[in-house]
Amino acid sequence: MDRPFSRVTALATAVLLSLAAACGAGQTADPQGGNGADGGEQEGTELTVGFAAEPANLDFTTTDGAAIPEALLVNVYEGLVKINQDGEIVPLLAESWEISDDRTVYDFRLREGVQFTNGEPFTAEDVKFSIERVQSDDWTVSLKAAMDVVESVEAVDDHHARVTLSEPSNRWLFQMTTRIGAMFSREGVDDLANEPIGTGPYMLDDWVRGDRIVLERNPDYWGDAPGIQTVTFRYFNDASALTNAMLSGGVDVIGTVQEPETLEQFESDEYQVIQGTTNGEVVLSFNNGREPLSDVRVRQAIKHAIDHEAVLETAWAGRGELIGSMVPPHDPWYEDLTGVYDHDPDRARELLEEADATDLQLAFRIPNLPYAVSSAQVVQSQLEEVGIRTKLDVLEFPARWLEVVFTNHNYDMSIIAHVEPRDIVTFGDPDYYWQYDNPEVQQMLDEADSAQEGRRDELMRDVARTIAEDAAADWLFLLPNLIVAAPDVDGLPTNRVGEAFDLTELTRG
Amino acid sequence: MTRRLNANLIVGAALVGLVVALALVSFVWTPYEPTRINAGVRLAGYSSDHLLGTDRFGRDVLSQIMVGARTTLFVGIVAVGVAGFAGTPLGVMAGMAHSRWVSEGIMRANDLLLAFPALLLAIMFGAVFGASTLTAMVAIGIATIPTFARIARSRTLQVMKTEYVLAARAAGRTRVAIAMRHVLPNIAALLIVQASVSFAIAVLAEAALSFLGFGTAPPTPSWGRMLQEAQGLLRIAPRLTLWPGLGIAIAVLGFNLLGDGLRDYLDPQLEDRR
Amino acid sequence: MFLVSLLLASIAVFAFMSVLPGDPAQVALGVQADPEAVAQMRARFGTDRPLVVQYLDWVGGLPTGDFGTSYVTQAVIGPQIVDRFLVTLWLVATGMVIAVVIAVPVGVVAAVRHREPSGALLSGASQVGIAIPNFLAGMLLIAVFAVHWRVFPAGGWTPPVDDPQRFLRGLVLPAVSLGLVQAAVLARYVRSAVLDVLRQDFIRTARAKGLGPYRALVRHGMRNAAIPVVTVLGLQLATLLIGAVVVERVFVIPGLGSLLLDGVANRDLLLVQGVVMVLVVAVLLVNYLVDLLYVVIDPRLRRGQ
Repeated sequence: MDRPFSRVTALATAVLLSLAAACGAGQTADPQGGNGADGGEQEGTELTVGFAAEPANLDFTTTDGAAIPEALLVNVYEGLVKINQDGEIVPLLAESWEISDDRTVYDFRLREGVQFTNGEPFTAEDVKFSIERVQSDDWTVSLKAAMDVVESVEAVDDHHARVTLSEPSNRWLFQMTTRIGAMFSREGVDDLANEPIGTGPYMLDDWVRGDRIVLERNPDYWGDAPGIQTVTFRYFNDASALTNAMLSGGVDVIGTVQEPETLEQFESDEYQVIQGTTNGEVVLSFNNGREPLSDVRVRQAIKHAIDHEAVLETAWAGRGELIGSMVPPHDPWYEDLTGVYDHDPDRARELLEEADATDLQLAFRIPNLPYAVSSAQVVQSQLEEVGIRTKLDVLEFPARWLEVVFTNHNYDMSIIAHVEPRDIVTFGDPDYYWQYDNPEVQQMLDEADSAQEGRRDELMRDVARTIAEDAAADWLFLLPNLIVAAPDVDGLPTNRVGEAFDLTELTRG
Repeated sequence: MTRRLNANLIVGAALVGLVVALALVSFVWTPYEPTRINAGVRLAGYSSDHLLGTDRFGRDVLSQIMVGARTTLFVGIVAVGVAGFAGTPLGVMAGMAHSRWVSEGIMRANDLLLAFPALLLAIMFGAVFGASTLTAMVAIGIATIPTFARIARSRTLQVMKTEYVLAARAAGRTRVAIAMRHVLPNIAALLIVQASVSFAIAVLAEAALSFLGFGTAPPTPSWGRMLQEAQGLLRIAPRLTLWPGLGIAIAVLGFNLLGDGLRDYLDPQLEDRR
Repeated sequence: MFLVSLLLASIAVFAFMSVLPGDPAQVALGVQADPEAVAQMRARFGTDRPLVVQYLDWVGGLPTGDFGTSYVTQAVIGPQIVDRFLVTLWLVATGMVIAVVIAVPVGVVAAVRHREPSGALLSGASQVGIAIPNFLAGMLLIAVFAVHWRVFPAGGWTPPVDDPQRFLRGLVLPAVSLGLVQAAVLARYVRSAVLDVLRQDFIRTARAKGLGPYRALVRHGMRNAAIPVVTVLGLQLATLLIGAVVVERVFVIPGLGSLLLDGVANRDLLLVQGVVMVLVVAVLLVNYLVDLLYVVIDPRLRRGQ
């Protein structure tokens, strides 16, 4: 796979799949437990966290979707590195690492005394095994392509692993914080769908399909024991049911609020509401590859027709941030681009006139996810004002939306949250579902991956600005990280910038 | 045979009339464009501007209720239409057929169809053809065919034994002629009653489907989907649940009462047996 | 005859599900997997074989409870369906009991007093009850009893063996919202069945001998009134099984209905096919049993055979 965009493509796919119904991906906190782990003494503490999307199974090596790493990554499976609250890469199973001058050789010093929950010790051989397994046919999810850049893995000694890349890649180490960086036991991959075996602070205790996953503290964990003995993830395929469960004491935490307009019920001393940021850009995607949205003037007209503040206010109760491009504010190359297209219906009509597209009828095909359904209705109403008619089709997510919009590109506009970190790279893939083919952008992205940090940020900033000005898509808003919790729950993540719902910091009481 | 109006008929007709009136008026006038979103007046309460308040998109609830009545009636009409126009001829054929194979065949197929309840069929349809009002009501209609076929058949069997039919057959009338002249007029009353009752069932089914996301797709207003959207706001804005809920209840109650009333009105002998 | 129906139903279900858009292999692999991998996956799932072969393979497994292996969850479907079906059965059975417990007395009283205002009130109430969708009843029950008073959980499921008390508490609201509406339907049939019986000569005779209306009914009329009621009960059982789909969604109960809806959303073809088949078989079976029950209840039919 040496086509320049295979990696990008793969990433992008994962992006979409992982946005699943739980529109946030995951969170992370400070790696070494810090002060949060002193609750380790508390025996028998329990916590129930409610989520929307249930994992189809427990094997993220063959099944896509955000829900599996959300529950298992960092908690059950650990990688060499993880991502913290501020989006920085910090040590986990690797105590430290050195990068060669040409930035292709990574030497990881591994933590000692770590063992898997099947009793096997964790060594450099497992690192080799896990990384090579991602490259083998055992892994089928498309995210695995991010490992293509690895040329070889060598176990120098038990606690020293050396990874050689075929070319410098800024993205690779970052990707190692996601599920593809998870470390597996050589003896523990027989039944991943039902029996996850990792080195993490928790182990699987019970799994009732359609209802809950119960994690129990791993007694042999190498680090500080987490504060909560038993954590139950409960799954609600209905947002209101989750709200009701919180109101009636059925769960202690709502992991991802799906109906922000219901939050006012929780604004009292009985609850705490946490609002932070995520990587979830809610994108109004355009099919750049076919008429009429292949005409930049039509795309610009749409962007001028949309009142983003009203969209955020109506669709997501005003919670979240406005963004002008595919970059959340915590990325190093962020630049405020919200002003590139202001709300200007008259200008929109003019542009339509110029493009000779005054009688538009667009196929607006969206997934049946709460944020998409509500945003789409607002967008539809606003486009109507400038004379753009849309036919709204609500497709079941994931299956039908993926097929119709994502694979077959049979749409004009859609709405979906792209929750994968640093997913701006998808604009470098001309085959991606928005069919955006701009050689300049592609070239800049490619160069950015192997460039030094300063240069990289500069290039990425240019990419973000170019796609914004070119109206490659419209960015409605950035999903907030919204959590509701009982007041005695501490250590909840304010920001969710990784894939996992990190439980290690949580305490009660 | 004296036909007299009864309470069920009057109340039922009045309730159905109310729904029909709402729907008809909505064609020419609604206070606002029902799908028009207005961020400025989200979740507004009752006021002179918005008699029934607004929903979380700032859409006028009264306008939505009115257009929702249209959806409700539309679903009922198509569903009952499909069931009646397919089920009645099948039932009559089964009742009149000389061949045991034909009549048995029809009734067996009927029993088989009976094993696919409306909601199940509609979910299957929705999965295959995509959720829409059309798939929902066609599915409900198909699932209701057996009801009509059964009634048509049993009544046809009775009619076929009457003297005038025997006379007509002796006179060499074709079966189609007998069916048109004697059978249909005689089973019409029962079928109208059944249509009314089936209408009520169809309304409930559509509401349930829209609630599950297999019925009317947004932004078309539908009482079932309004309820679904209001679900999380039950404590914050109970009126958003109240009005569409009331709409469904009135429509269902109306058609059920109308059915009962019609039965008594059209077929007074039946009344004694009730 | 019953077996023929089952066979035909299985063909209908299979034929219909093979029309479903969406390729399970593609869905399982994520979207931009390369075609070769998709072809491999198809071979693994067996979806590359002719439809007839796929059908025979599937239907052949059914009698032994082998529904195949899900494309999406990679889990064996049979046990899943059994687990979920048990949950739904609990719900439906409890709903049924609630319906009967409410409907029989209400219907009988409404019949006996059909000329009095109290009787009219009861039949009016049951008319209104029919008009309320069960999911709306569920929403309201949650708002009042779970969120406001917090006496029952808002949803979720505890298996009876884990914790019988929590199991029962969790069962109350969904079963009531399912049963209440059915009670209203049933009450009307009970009423008209009892009215029928009350007009029979033997009841009139019994009453002429000085028996009160209820005693006369209990002693002589119940069996006669039971026949139409049992028919309706049978039909209702089918309605309840399907109605549970909606109620399970409202109360987040991991029953067959939730499984069906999840299966549809995930394009889990085999799973949906299996669930639909189970529901259809259940409905057919209930109808069949009702036919058998007539004979037990009504000796005249027995003699007639």
